[in-house]
Amino acid sequence: MNRAVDPRELKVHRDDGVAKGDVLLEVKDVSLRFGGVKAITKISFDVRKGEIRAIIGPNGAGKTSMLNVINGFYTPQEGTITFRGVERRAMRTTDAARQGIARTFQNIALFKGMTTLDNIMTGRITLQKSNLFAQAVWRGPALREELEHRHRVEEIIDFLEIQHIRKVPVGRLPYGLQKRVELGRALAAEPALLLLDEPMAGMNLEEKEDMSRFILDVNSQFGTTIALIEHDMGVVMDISDRVVVLDYGRKIGDGSPEEVSKNQDVIDAYLGVPHE
Amino acid sequence: MLYREAGDFKTTYVADMQTFPIRGERILFWLFVAFCFAVVPFFITGYWEKSILVPFLVWSMIALGLNILTGYCGQVSLGTGGFMAVGAFACYKLTTAFPELNIVLVIILSGAVTAGVGMLFGLPSLRIKGFYLAVATLAAQFFLVWCFNKFGWFYNYSASGQISMPTRTLFGVAVTGPDAPPWATYLVSLTFVFVFAWVARNLTRGRLGRSWMAMRDMDIAAQIMGISPFNAKLSAFAISSFYVGMGGAMFFAIYLGAAEVTEAFGIDKSFDALFMIIIGGLGSILGSFLGAAFIVVFPVFLKNVMVGGLGWSTDLAAHVEIMTVGALIIFFLIVEPHGLAQIWRLTKEKLRLWPFPY
Ligand SMILES: Nc1ncnc2c1ncn2[C@@H]1O[C@H](COP(=O)(O)OP(=O)(O)OP(=O)(O)O)[C@@H](O)[C@H]1O
Ligand SMILES: [Mg+2]
Repeated sequence: MNRAVDPRELKVHRDDGVAKGDVLLEVKDVSLRFGGVKAITKISFDVRKGEIRAIIGPNGAGKTSMLNVINGFYTPQEGTITFRGVERRAMRTTDAARQGIARTFQNIALFKGMTTLDNIMTGRITLQKSNLFAQAVWRGPALREELEHRHRVEEIIDFLEIQHIRKVPVGRLPYGLQKRVELGRALAAEPALLLLDEPMAGMNLEEKEDMSRFILDVNSQFGTTIALIEHDMGVVMDISDRVVVLDYGRKIGDGSPEEVSKNQDVIDAYLGVPHE
Repeated sequence: MLYREAGDFKTTYVADMQTFPIRGERILFWLFVAFCFAVVPFFITGYWEKSILVPFLVWSMIALGLNILTGYCGQVSLGTGGFMAVGAFACYKLTTAFPELNIVLVIILSGAVTAGVGMLFGLPSLRIKGFYLAVATLAAQFFLVWCFNKFGWFYNYSASGQISMPTRTLFGVAVTGPDAPPWATYLVSLTFVFVFAWVARNLTRGRLGRSWMAMRDMDIAAQIMGISPFNAKLSAFAISSFYVGMGGAMFFAIYLGAAEVTEAFGIDKSFDALFMIIIGGLGSILGSFLGAAFIVVFPVFLKNVMVGGLGWSTDLAAHVEIMTVGALIIFFLIVEPHGLAQIWRLTKEKLRLWPFPY
């Protein structure tokens, strides 16, 4: 593969103080209701540092809701989330970002009026510090900081092979590229935990292969821990280390891809065996 | 070796981030600036000063301010007139209380006072959006004007309820008051607008600008990336109001000379500012200037052509003006939401490719 930048240069500098293989995120007995709708019922699972963890399940199973709980967007009625050893239930989404949780969305949530470059630069916003006056004159510390982050962002742009669309407003990009820019924006935050909500939805085979490759590279080269939701079982089997299966807001399976695919409950859920 | 590579990166990114990446364009821009600063002052007449150049510059400042809030951060405001009034009254109070205070400082401080007031009235934006926010800022407009009318302290209990600007000098030359020469008021306005347009450009291309645009384009995603709506929206309100306040101070001190609040800072001013940024281009520095130029110069042009040239009545000309502006706003909202600035950009691209459009 021919890349301008060796991804190994792009080290995650956010040291999360968790050793590889240890539990990075623990979800414990979490329940989430919207009025009468039980989106999540007493779910527990963990994500270990350095792994790719897939969350699967039929439509409406509560997968997206789970990610929203993890990054503080929803507050569960019961249960706790422990991230990097710190336990919490309610928190502000901005704090989750500062602790190192970044994500992409099922329905792309890019900043449509901004260019690819600006979108990805926005991913680094929590890492930028220069004050108002330095920014106003665009000299000294503000410019130095901007260049430093620009340098990092250019590495991500090279890594994702999107140099040619750097200055294009993302609203004009085709769907597959938008998904890629969104991954870039999340990567730019150098997250300790990367949440991907259906990163390959709506893509053709080639785009899916590219995206799988990027996800694997991010995981192996940068050491980023990833939790991803995906419907394509082939992809899930190929790239994930462990899988958690949800159905109607409950956990019905958890384990390696092989274990999960042999689990009778999981097979029933996917084949649509009616619930008693 | 390493050092050189680092240096190299820097120059390329710096070059890449330039406002005018094309050399010819850059030269033209600086020639134009030199012309405005060094040539125009020698030829400016009272008519050009009062009817075109000074109002254009003052309105450019105001449009820049509103564009930061509405164009960049996506928060609609109908309170511009009220915030201009805050700037004007702050300027009046400051300069009458401290006559020795340098006028430049007075105008900047007036902007700072307005920034504080703007932030206060920006608080509802943390809860409400769009139409509801527009109504809340409309309330600010009426409340502020009412306030400046109601409490005599603001206009130093003058019998007429008016405020009037005393003569203030800069380097020994009057820049406000009836004796200020046209070139002096022009140069002061130009310098203010030039410096603060540059500041606006810097703020909008860096971290702050990206946090505003992120808020505008997708506020939930922005929060999930760690951008606090509190910081982003309130900083937009503060900085926008800072500009509008300085604009209001200049409008009163340099342009009008004397003002009565309901007449000078009514709701029509809020709409004028909004029309400027819509026609000029939302989220564009250049657009703020183009919009201000359009709204200020177009009526003068119409008047000269229709009343002076064709001999139509002033009434008719006024109606034609309102209709044309209205039609243009609808046109821009539907066909080209990025306004004149976008048309300018596209024309430039065509010119660059011409005659080989590939
Ligand atoms: N904000 C909300 N308000 C009310 N109900 C909601 C809300 N968000 C999700 N739900 C409900 O919670 C349940 C789980 O939704 P969720 O989006 O988490 O499913 P999902 O597993 O991501 O499904 P899909 O594969 O279709 O994306 C659904 O029944 C959904 O209707
Ligand atoms: Mg979902």
